[in-house]
This record gives sequence, C-alpha cells and structure tokens, in this order.
Amino acid sequence: MRKKKICMVGDFSVGKTSITQKFVNNVFSEKYLTTIGVKIDTATVGEDKLIVWDVAGRDSLSPINASYLVGASGVILVADGSRSSTVGGLLEIWQTVTNRIGSVPVVVALNKADLDGWQIDDHSRALLDQQGWDVFATSAKDGKNVEAVFKKLVEIMNCKES
Amino acid sequence: MLEANLQQRINAQLLDKLQLAYICVDSSMTVVEVSDNLSSYGYNDIVIGANVEECVDFMFGFDAQTQLDLPMVQSPSGITISVSLLPSDRLLTVLISNASNQADQRQLLQQKANENELLVERQEKLLTQLEQASEQLESKNEQLEEASRLQTSFLSGVSHEFRTPLTSIIGYTNLVEQSLQCPTDKTGSDIQQKADHLRAVQRSSRHLLSLVENLLDHGKLDSDEIMLRPKTTNLVELFQDVELLLKPLSDAKHIELTINLDIDDSTIVVIDDSRLRQCLINLLGNAVKFTDHGSVSLTADLSGDFLSIKVADTGPGISDEDLQKIRLPFWQAADTGKAGTGLGLTITERIIELMGGELEVSSVLSEGTQVSFQIPAPMLMDQECAKVLNSKQSLADMTVLLAEDDHDIAALMVVMMAERGVHLTHVENGALALEAMQSTTFDFVLMDIHMPVMTGYETLAALQQANNSTPVVIMSASTVEAGRMKAESLGCYDYLIKPVDVDDVIEIMNHVALDKDADHTC
Ligand SMILES: Nc1nc2c(ncn2[C@@H]2O[C@H](COP(=O)(O)OP(=O)(O)OP(=O)(O)O)[C@@H](O)[C@H]2O)c(=O)[nH]1
Ligand SMILES: [Mg+2]
Repeated sequence: MRKKKICMVGDFSVGKTSITQKFVNNVFSEKYLTTIGVKIDTATVGEDKLIVWDVAGRDSLSPINASYLVGASGVILVADGSRSSTVGGLLEIWQTVTNRIGSVPVVVALNKADLDGWQIDDHSRALLDQQGWDVFATSAKDGKNVEAVFKKLVEIMNCKES
Repeated sequence: MLEANLQQRINAQLLDKLQLAYICVDSSMTVVEVSDNLSSYGYNDIVIGANVEECVDFMFGFDAQTQLDLPMVQSPSGITISVSLLPSDRLLTVLISNASNQADQRQLLQQKANENELLVERQEKLLTQLEQASEQLESKNEQLEEASRLQTSFLSGVSHEFRTPLTSIIGYTNLVEQSLQCPTDKTGSDIQQKADHLRAVQRSSRHLLSLVENLLDHGKLDSDEIMLRPKTTNLVELFQDVELLLKPLSDAKHIELTINLDIDDSTIVVIDDSRLRQCLINLLGNAVKFTDHGSVSLTADLSGDFLSIKVADTGPGISDEDLQKIRLPFWQAADTGKAGTGLGLTITERIIELMGGELEVSSVLSEGTQVSFQIPAPMLMDQECAKVLNSKQSLADMTVLLAEDDHDIAALMVVMMAERGVHLTHVENGALALEAMQSTTFDFVLMDIHMPVMTGYETLAALQQANNSTPVVIMSASTVEAGRMKAESLGCYDYLIKPVDVDDVIEIMNHVALDKDADHTC
C-alpha cells in the first residue's frame, strides 16, 4: 500500500477537525474544541493509505506552524463558507504552504454548506477562480462532499506522481 | 560490566524523571536504538530493525537529515508530546518529551481566544445585518408613505371620475323623466332632444364601465390574471367604434379627433378585440383629457401581420422627469389639475406587453405627446375573411333560450335581441332551462351563473352529464378568471362579462351557425 502524508490547513474553527473526523470515524460534534498543535489520523482511499495531519488553525495567537507541513504530498485548504474572511485567508495560508513545501497538490473545502448563512460572495469566488483550485462545498455535519474532497486530492497526487 | 549496567539504569531513571524518550534511526530510517519508556506514550511495537516510517505515524515523510521541532503532537496514548528530530553524522535521533502541561495551558488560552473572536465576528455580522435591515426599513417606509399618498390622491381621483358621468346620468334621466310627465308637445325637436339626452346617458354609462374595467384589471396586474382571448375581428369596425365613443369627449372640449387608417375595410385579423379597445380608449381618453387646444390623432396601419398604432396629441407634454414615472400605478402629474385614477397607462402597458408589444412614449413639453406600439395581428386569408363576413346571415330561424333570474336584464335582452330579429324564450333558473331543453331543441342557450334553484355551473354540469351538446354561452358579472375556467371546464361555448353587449351575442351566434354549417358540409 502506498502511504501519503496530507495536511488539513485553514483558519481556526472552519471545521478541519470535523471534516477529518467525519471522514475517518464518521462522527460529528456540534461542540467546538480547538485543536492544539496537531492530531494525526490514518485513513484508506482505494490503494492509498493517508496519514492525515489535522493542524491547529491559524488564529489571533499564532500563525500556522509550517514544520508540520514537511513531508506532506498534498494539502486540503479548509474555509468556512459562512465566514467570508476565512475564504480570503486561504491565500495567505497557501503562501505559508508553498514557502515551506512548494506547490503541492491542493483541494479546497468550503465547509458548513448546511448553514443558512453559507454564501460565497463575488469577491471570494473571483479569488478562488483565479487560483484555479478544485473547490468543494462540504459539510462535516451532513457529510456532503467530505469523501469527494479526499478522493480528489488523492487523484491529483497520484496523477502528479505518474 | 557492572558499571555499564549501572550507567544504563541511571540513564533510564533520568529519562523517566525528565519524561524523555528517544528513537535512533540510521540513514535508511531503520530503528537502531529505542528508550524503554516509549510505550508510556503509546508506541508499543517499535522494534530494532523496523522502518520508523512504518511504525511511527508522525515520522512518515521525513529523511535522516531532517532537523525539525514538532511541538504538541497528540501521541497514541492521548498525551501530548513534543518531538525534536536531531540529525548527526550517521544517525537521526528522535527526541520525545511530555508536553501535556504546556498543551493544557495552551488549550485554555486558545479556546477562549478563538471563542471570543468568533463572538466578535458574529457581533459584527449582526451589526451589519441590523444596519442593512434598518436601511431597508427606512426605504420601505418611504415607499409606504409614497404609496399612501398615491392611494389618497387615487381615491379622490376615482370619486371625481365617477362623479362626473354619474352627475350627467342623473341629470339627463331627470330631464327625460320630467318631459315624460308633462307631455306638452310631441314635436320632432322634442323627440330629438330626448334622443340626445339618452345618448349622453349612454356615453356616460360606457365611460363608467371602462373606468370599472380599469379598476378591476388593476387588481389583476400583480396576480397575472389578465388573459388574452383573441378572436376574429374586423379592425376598421373596431376603430370606428372607438371613434364614436370618444368623439363626444373631444367635441365637448372643441379639439379635433382624427383616426387615420391604412387598413382595408374587409381586413379580418385575430386579436383580443376587447383588450385592444380598452387600450385605445385609455390612450385616446388620456390624450383628450390632457389636451386643451388643438388635436388628438390616431394612426394605424397593418403590415406583415403586425398592427402599428400611434396616438399623438398637442397637449402640454410630459417632462423628462415625469416620463420616468408615468408608468407607475396611480401616478399623476401634480400640476395638471386633471382628475383621474392614474391607472389607464399602467394597465394599457401591461396588456400591450401581453399582446407581444411594447408601449413607447415620447414627449416634448408644450408641444405634445406621442404614444405608440406594435403588436402581432395575424391576418386571415381572403376566403376565410369572406366566410366570416358572409356569416352575418339571418339568425331569425335560430331558437334561443335565455336563463336569467334578473327580470330587468332579461326584459332588456329580449327587447334588444328582438330588434336584431332574434326571438328568445326566457326562463328564470337552471332547472327550468333543463326542463325547457327536454321538451324543445334549442340552437343556442344564454345563461346567467348566479340563479336560484339551480346555478349556471350546476346546469352546465347536468348538460355535460346528459351528453347534451347545445352551445351554452355564460353571462357572468364576475371578472375573476377562475369563474371562466370553471365554466370552460364544464363545457360552456363562450363566456361573456356583464353588462353583455348584444352585438357580442350576435357574433357568437354567427359562429354557432357557421359551426353548424361546417358540421353539415363535412
Ligand atoms: N453546521 C456545521 N457546523 C460545523 C461543520 N463543520 C464544523 N462545524 C462546527 O464548527 C466548529 C468548529 O469545528 P472544528 O472542526 O473544531 O474546526 P477546526 O477547523 O478544527 O478548528 P481549530 O481546530 O480551532 O482550527 C464546531 O463547533 C463544529 O461543530 C459543518 O459542516 N456544519
Ligand atoms: Mg481542529
């Protein structure tokens, strides 16, 4: 089995832990417990074993610790579609990623698609379009597109390898 | 030997005390040495000779040269650890220390900070929402105030519009009644005068009717209830009709009303004639109302199945600013001093839109206003025209049944139809109509909806059940589209709105006769 390290990155409270837990253990909790440092889980997608690094989000106290990214072959950028600032924040976070490990395969999860206030304004859409990223509207709560995000990333990573 | 052993034990105790563990790997990432206490962090199956990338998740992706600090990694035991990768010549040492105290502190701090920030974000969002809502409320309020102002001026406009024709109706009927009470002279001039008075009454009544139609239509504008009912129509007759209706108004104001038609007398088109008439009356009526000197003209021509119409007046004109507003319901220029409902143009525009056209208004202040539109009006082929025109045959031998509970309306119908050579049998409700239809075969039935004993709907249903296909034309006072649909679903031949124009009835009878002929020939 091929092993791959991937990282979940994004602003705090966007749902990195929730998406990972939904994908790995099929559970979801409404309660917010912020991730300290990093939590590592594993999951299988087809022929590939993923080592998923659920990295603490960027917040007012600290930026993302780029050391956690070393050795990753792909990242999932997560933003909260009901907080447009977290979508805008992806650019800076992507900068952190590329500075440390280069332009690795990436997909974007615009999370919390189940919420009423979920909305991508024109500015954010233009920004995402401009980057040419694969973007998914996900919901860790109802499971929407959670699997798809991981599968897409694996697909891109494998494509890059071969 | 003993010393080495002692040294080892001391080392182990020291490591335990400092809660430090380690793994040493060689350049191929193969484990060469581990501390005994690794299992306290949940790393149980790390054996010498194994590949560290396979047995320690956090080590995957690194090589022996990697120098890195990984603070606060959750270990399999649940204890948070800090990891340092320390490469040396031939070995990579992975130093693991307990960071749970640090993690707990951090957890408290970060949780609070993040929750606070979320709260602030939510507050800001709510605040902008609140601001937006209050802005919306303000503009809504302004709209409401404007609407209420328009409504008030509308109401006074309506009452004025109604008062004028009603005053004239009451006045003229009084005159006629008085002259009937004291029949002094029966000279020609007296009769002529009475006829004039009655014509004035008729004019005012028609004017009232078109007012009521506009009011009712306005209610339907929003609900998309206005429907078109195109039928074969002689355009020239329609324009003559409109001219006759408006001539008295323009004559009274001493302005010239001209209708220029570039259309053949015998041209028959398919169009909703009553809606077109309504539009023309509204447009010409407006033009006449606002023009105090000069003329009002209507120009119409038909080409390529399109009817183009232009209404021009020499009135005061409309300012550019007001041109933006004239299409709003109830809107009226403030300083004209002309009363009205302000609905005519709104309704006309909507109807023309429904007909597939667009109303264009252009105006020059103190020179006049031009209103024009173009709508599809498919022409009938020559032989089809001939058929329609020739069908005005004698209807005298048709047997017609009238079911109507209002005696005044029934009596009027009987007299007016008799003038056109048609004899009516009158019954007072649906049950009696069914009875009459059992003993006699009628060619045609005219029926009211609201009748005692048995309504028009019930009668239609009974006829449908009995497979009786006698054409039934409904006369209803309700302009609600649902009534028409119900009657049509029950198989009525046509649906007329009261007050019914006898000429419409005659036209439908012509169609019935035509259909009958067609049935016989094929
Ligand atoms: N409605 C809804 N809530 C979600 C969804 N995903 C996450 N949440 C909630 O959002 C909050 C934050 O989720 P986490 O998964 O802890 O976010 P995170 O990105 O891991 O946050 P940090 O670890 O602090 O960086 C929690 O209260 C979740 O229940 C979602 O798809 N829908
Ligand atoms: Mg988290």
